[in-house]
Parts: sequence; structure tokens; C-alpha cells
Amino acid sequence: MFNKLRIGKKGENIIFGTFVLLYIGWCVNSPDMNIESLKSVLTIGLSVGIIYGLVALGISLIYTGLDVVNFSHGEFFMIGAFAGLTMFNLLGNQDWIFNVFPDAYGWIIYVVCLFTAFVSMGLFGVFIERVFLRPLTKKGGGYTVAGMGIIICGFGLSVVLINVAYLIWNPVAKPFPAELGLPMEIGGLFLPITYIWMIVVGLSVAAGLWFFLNKTKMGLGIRAVAYSKDVSNLVGINVPLYISIIFGIACAIAGIGGTLVGPTYQVVVFMGYIILMKAFAAAVVGGFGNLPGAIVGGFTVGIFETASSFYISGSHKDLYAFLLMIVVLMIKPTGFFGVQVKMKA
Amino acid sequence: MLKINQLISGYGSVQILNGANMKVEKQSIVALLGGNGTGKSTILRAASGLIRSWKGTIEFNGEQIQNLPAHEIVGRGLVQVTQGKDVFPAMSVTENLKLGGFILKSKKQLLDNLEKVYNYFPRLNERKDQLAATLSGGELQMLCIGRGLMSNPKMIMLDEPSAALAPQIVLDIFKNINRIRQDGLTVLVVEQNVRMALLLADYGYVIKDGVINVEGDSKKLMYDESVKESYLGGTKANV
Repeated sequence: MFNKLRIGKKGENIIFGTFVLLYIGWCVNSPDMNIESLKSVLTIGLSVGIIYGLVALGISLIYTGLDVVNFSHGEFFMIGAFAGLTMFNLLGNQDWIFNVFPDAYGWIIYVVCLFTAFVSMGLFGVFIERVFLRPLTKKGGGYTVAGMGIIICGFGLSVVLINVAYLIWNPVAKPFPAELGLPMEIGGLFLPITYIWMIVVGLSVAAGLWFFLNKTKMGLGIRAVAYSKDVSNLVGINVPLYISIIFGIACAIAGIGGTLVGPTYQVVVFMGYIILMKAFAAAVVGGFGNLPGAIVGGFTVGIFETASSFYISGSHKDLYAFLLMIVVLMIKPTGFFGVQVKMKA
Repeated sequence: MLKINQLISGYGSVQILNGANMKVEKQSIVALLGGNGTGKSTILRAASGLIRSWKGTIEFNGEQIQNLPAHEIVGRGLVQVTQGKDVFPAMSVTENLKLGGFILKSKKQLLDNLEKVYNYFPRLNERKDQLAATLSGGELQMLCIGRGLMSNPKMIMLDEPSAALAPQIVLDIFKNINRIRQDGLTVLVVEQNVRMALLLADYGYVIKDGVINVEGDSKKLMYDESVKESYLGGTKANV
């Protein structure tokens, strides 16, 4: 899970570096290139990137812990956004919060929404794992290569969750008007303060996860379960419980990601799918299964996507993440920090 | 201490054990011997809850423990020590040992046990901050035994402690196993190294085709012709 940050083979790096230089050259030649636009591109890229990174973190965590790729992870992101929005609407018409904290009520409500999304998605993830995925492991060889049923179940869950959300919240995009203060001016553009807020919260969540996994007893148990279920059993770790915890944490992080993008973009039932695909690209770029790599990959995809749509062509925005993934897979198949691992489903 | 009665078990739909019976007395060292694929490790895996027992009973301290979740069996004081390769390679020696004491509630108890293990195996103390992946074969085996001792077990079951080790190191490890017994633990050793195992043990069982074939005092088994037969195959070689 925490492979020593190994920076691949020399030849791979030279070819990859050439591509990076060519790309930078292309961007620099663009007529829009100046220091002001670069500043705003970096801000937007980093803030979008941390969202990809958070979802990729969940995908990587489930991959290392359970040995399967969770294809319904984008839907946890989407439902997390709705959970935060629901809490926001509940608190929005409570006058006493405004009376007690006249200066900071917008922030307080937003923090409560983030916390709600975190806790509710964590519990929801545990529920999904226990009810839908756990029974499948009884037939196949647990959460391993034999668990192809779980992967297909993930696709099914994705469809089911989208349609349940459609029934509850209908397909109209909903605004999330969190009052977090005036926009700031970065590089000539007035950007909502939520861009900075996304980066700060996202990085804190990632740092919190690192601390949890490395410094607490439960984190030690999670790393043990991720390495080997059998040996973990033999040292007395309750492996089924820990698998639920891993799934729950991954979903809780996705839920926070959903509530973080809410105020900047809008909350809509179909937001999960494209985020899942881009987070997948981020995880591949960073090195699949490597947790710091997921965040770095998220930043890379976010900046690449924003810079390309700014300097090259804005009408193909969704293309760039996958282009980057294909280039990385061709030249550096292990991603930035990945190591070659045994085949996992 | 441990009583296995008519145990039937296996992997998937393949039956390996065909009604094995054995008994381990308190504070003794018992050796379970047998060739490849005879079901030695299967008995251990069934006893420690990694695979289900299809039929038969496993009793530990008078309580039936078959088909309990593995972590509860550890909680009752029956711990399986894996082969040396089954450590957590990306963690340090101390972290590996702390994982062994995962079920302990108090931190003081954990540190006491850590001290105790370093006392048995001073080599681990020298290397406590190294990653487990950098240890030698003998040190890995010591780490596994130490990890098994961390949770205050009443009985440990060792899965081939001598596998792929130099004779000098095997002797060293077996001396330590004897010391562990003298400190009040019960030991079950699964071995392929018959001579060494019988020198160490008080009592021996030889398993063949999933049933206990021969049993007896270890001194007696050492000169038993049928033990050799069990190892060399079904019939005596006619030369």
C-alpha cells in the first residue's frame, strides 16, 4: 500500500519526459499563454485534481484492501454530494445558526455538511458491502481474482444507485449555494473561494488518511489485511470487520469529494460516472494501488486537463484525462509510483 | 489441551482429511509428521479456523472450537505460527511483532510481550527497525515465532519451522522452542524434518492420506520402520 516511492526505469522516464517537454512547449506557444492565465489554470487544475485524487484514493484503497476494482465508486461520490446538499437545505432555513454566528454561519453550515457526507457515506458504504458484496464472496474465493462477480456487481450497483437517486432527487441539476465569502481574484479571473477550500480540505483528508493508516492500531490492522487476509486472521484480526471498515472509509472519502465540488459546480444525478472514469485515469497515472500516487495522479490529471482545455482546445475537455492515461499506460505502465504487482481482478 | 476427533476437512470440494484423531497434552511438544500432500497443514488450518471443518470436532481446553472465526480462536489462546515467508514484508520488525499482539487490550502488556520476545530472540532486537523484507530466512522464522508469542497464547502450532533453513539455524530455533515449552506453553510442530522433530518432541503422530497412520513416543517412532514407509511411499522399496 505504501510502496517506497520508486521512480521507474530510466528509459521509460526519458521517453515520458520528452512527451512532457513537447506538451509544455505546445502550451507555451499558445497565444493565451501568460503568467496570469497560468496562475488560474494551476488553481483550477489543482482544485479539480484533488477531487479526482480523493475518488482515486478510495478506488486504490479498495483495490489494495479487497483486491477488486469498485466500479460503483462514482455513485458514492454523487450520493455524498446529495447527502451534503440535503443537510445544507435542512440547515439553511435555521435562523438560530445565523443569530448565534452572524459572521461565520456559512462556513459552519458547510463544515457540518462535509461531516454529514463523510459519516453518512461511510455507513452507507458499510451497508452496501455487507448486504450486496459480502454474500458474493461466500461462493467465489473471497475478495480475490476469483471475485469477478463483485466487479460485475459493482457495475450493477452503479446503475441501481443512479436510478434510485433519480427517483429521490429527479434529474434536474441542483445548485448548492454555500455562502463562503466573496470570490478571490487569481490571475485576472475571479474564482469562487471554494476552489481554495477544495484543495485545503482535500489535502487534509489525504493527510488524515495517511496518519490513520500509519500511526493508529486500526490503521496497522488495515495495512495487514491489505497485504494478506490469511496471516491477518492468524494474528487475531477480525478480517470481515476490517474489510467493511476499508470499504466504508473509501466511500466516506468519496462522499466528502462530492460535497466539496457541490458549491463550485452543481449537484446532479449523473455526476458520478465521469468522475469515476477520470479518477480511474488518475489512479492509473499515479500507480494503481499506491495511495500517495492516487493524489499525485489526481493533481496531474487535473492540471493536464485544465491546461489543455485552456491552451489547446476547450471543446474537448473530457478527452484529455483519458489521453494522458493512454500515454502513461503505453510508456510507463506502472504509473508514477506503482510497482509491478501480481495480476488482480 | 487440544483434542482432534474424527476430523474431516479439505479445500473447495477436495477432501484432504479423512477422519484424523490426535491429542496434545498440556506443556508437551508434539510432532505431526508426514510427506507432501498428506494433510499436515490442513489439520493446522482447520484448527486455527482458516478453513471449515466438514465433520468431527476440535476441542481446545475442553471447549469445541471447530468453525469459530479465526480471530476468536486466537483470542482463546491457540495460535498458529506461519512459515517464515508469511510476514508483512513492508513493515518493520517491531510493527510485525505488534501485529502479533493485535488482540491485546493494554499497551503495557504489549510492551512487556515485546520485551519477552526480544529476550527469546536477541537477533530480532538488533534488527527491530529494519523492514521484514530485509531479514534472512532464519530471522524470518524467528519473527514468525515471536509474532505468535505476542498474544499470550496457551498453545502454539508451528508450520514447518525448519523449512529451507541451514541445520545450525534449525538447531537454534528448536532450542528456543524447547525453552518456550519450559516456560509453560504447549507446542505442536508440523515437520518434514523427521529426525530433528522427533529429537525435540515428546510424542509423535505420522499422518498419511488424511488419517493418522502411526503414533507413539518420539523415542520409539525414531526407530519405527513404518515411519520410513510413510515417507518413502506406500510400499517398501524392493531393491
